[in-house]
Amino acid sequence: MYPEFLPDPNPLYRNALREKLERIDMLARRTRIAIPEFYVGSILAVTYSEPHAPGKVNKFVGICIERNGSGLRSSFLLRNIVDNQGIEVCYELYDPAIQKIDCLRLEKRLDSHLRYLRDAPAKYSTFPFDLEPEFLPEGASVPVNDIKVPLNGLPWLEKWERQELKGIIIKGVTFSKKRNAKTKISAKPWEKYDLMKIYRETIPEEEQNEIFNEVYTKLHEIEITKRRLKHKRTFIRPQKTG
Amino acid sequence: MTSFLKTINGLQLFNKFLKPSISTIISKRDGGVGTPKYRHPEWLPKVTHVKHDEHLTQDNKEFIEEIVQDNYDSPIEFGTQISPLKIDPIEPITKWRKGLRRTGLIAKKIGVYPLWLKDGKKVSSTLLQIVDNEVVKYMPPEKFHPVRSCKPPLQIKRRLGCLVVGAENIDPQWVTKEYYGMFKDTGVIPKRVLRRFIISPEAALQPGTPLIAAHFKPGEIVDIRAKTIDRGFQGVMKRWGFKGMPASHGVTKTHRRPGNIGSGGRKARVMPGTKMPGHMGNKWRVHRGQQILRINTKYNIIWIKGQNIPGEINSYCHIYDTILPLRRHKTAPHFPTYLPSITKEPLPEELYADEVHQFSDPTIEFKEES
Repeated sequence: MYPEFLPDPNPLYRNALREKLERIDMLARRTRIAIPEFYVGSILAVTYSEPHAPGKVNKFVGICIERNGSGLRSSFLLRNIVDNQGIEVCYELYDPAIQKIDCLRLEKRLDSHLRYLRDAPAKYSTFPFDLEPEFLPEGASVPVNDIKVPLNGLPWLEKWERQELKGIIIKGVTFSKKRNAKTKISAKPWEKYDLMKIYRETIPEEEQNEIFNEVYTKLHEIEITKRRLKHKRTFIRPQKTG
Repeated sequence: MTSFLKTINGLQLFNKFLKPSISTIISKRDGGVGTPKYRHPEWLPKVTHVKHDEHLTQDNKEFIEEIVQDNYDSPIEFGTQISPLKIDPIEPITKWRKGLRRTGLIAKKIGVYPLWLKDGKKVSSTLLQIVDNEVVKYMPPEKFHPVRSCKPPLQIKRRLGCLVVGAENIDPQWVTKEYYGMFKDTGVIPKRVLRRFIISPEAALQPGTPLIAAHFKPGEIVDIRAKTIDRGFQGVMKRWGFKGMPASHGVTKTHRRPGNIGSGGRKARVMPGTKMPGHMGNKWRVHRGQQILRINTKYNIIWIKGQNIPGEINSYCHIYDTILPLRRHKTAPHFPTYLPSITKEPLPEELYADEVHQFSDPTIEFKEES
């Protein structure tokens, strides 16, 4: 739920004290803004103070196609199509200029990133700016949207056929002989059994527990105050009218 | 006779197998030139290297640890405890004026992360931790000769003194007698890193004075000296940023090579200073004119603007007041250092420069100009 609290697993950049200070700063920011739970594939609305915008405030709605980074540098990429033009905006999660983040539709997709929407028909990444937020019942698990996206013809921005993506349909695209051969060569089907590689690229569970134990009480407090505020907002005392 | 010797040898071998010999390795004192270096297999548990075998029993070890505990009963807490000095203190109290040089600090680079300014701009900042910094020794100008040469010493008008600062406490058992001698007279715990800062004699400090991150103020400009990352022997493309040569169009075997390195004719030689492949990095470099954005007094951390401080993460660097003529101090800094005992008011935990946004502040909003 809070993937950005885990540090970069690369040992070249690890330092326990820096990670701790980073977490303190993240929690300090979280007391000012409610950052909702969201995943790749969720639809978000971000209100952002922008010095050059009319009214100094901008709002952007889009589907989260990627989440990057860890700690204070964690960011997410929103995609939408406005006036037949694909627009992607990268937001920093802890940017103090972000006024509000709303999760309009909370769901997951089959893949860890949805960059392939850039090479898909426009209707798969078009969302109206006045989308009504959908609420899940309390305690329900996050639904997985198993939609399969058909891709446009070549040329593509990336070689999607090599990435073992589950959410795409490649139809009516013919690859050259050379490309097929290279796909075969570059395939690494053994990597998912490489335990050492997985160990190196993730934070071990004991360390995760340590980190989450440290931040849990503060996060829990924030959650409770958030909920209280929400209830306050929903309950409006009926007023007497003459 | 031979059989008897053999049996003895066999016994020794047997003994060797019985001992858990993996835990310590006695490194040789004189390894000749050309002797291959022992490389410990990665899959075996890590060894602790010792200079020579002390043959200490468990009781001996406990006794030594007790003595160490008695001598330095607890790590010196900043500002609270007076260091156990054996020499007379130096009276520092003179007011700051322009042209005085004060000491610097030894810091550990612990990482990089972004901070935001009040105008919404994102800047990356490097975190430097001040680890157990203490003054080890002061050399007055008469005794300090920075350059030793066979020529007669230069007649310098304004001679400066020198302050040796140490960082990161280590166990006194680890160090040699000669190294310990530096700390013995002053009663400072032995330090892993030592560094001398050239100072004016007015800024002299008593050995044992703790130096903390509040030595600087947020917003001040500093210079940082450190060793760059060691990149080993590198080609011309990485070392000097050459363009290399095309990947195709009939180019063979010369994709990352420098090309021509000089003219023929009369000169018939390579000019000195030609950019060529060679060892890259592991050099002392000074990064001048960096601004301090934020200071944490609890953990002794300094946030510095920019992500280009030389060196790897978890390596040491030296910070001192900048010598750039236009960016030097205009107002008085903490002179000779920040002494918590003199200023009664305790500092807040977090100090920020004026333009830095604090994470606990409300969201940045821009107002429309009417």
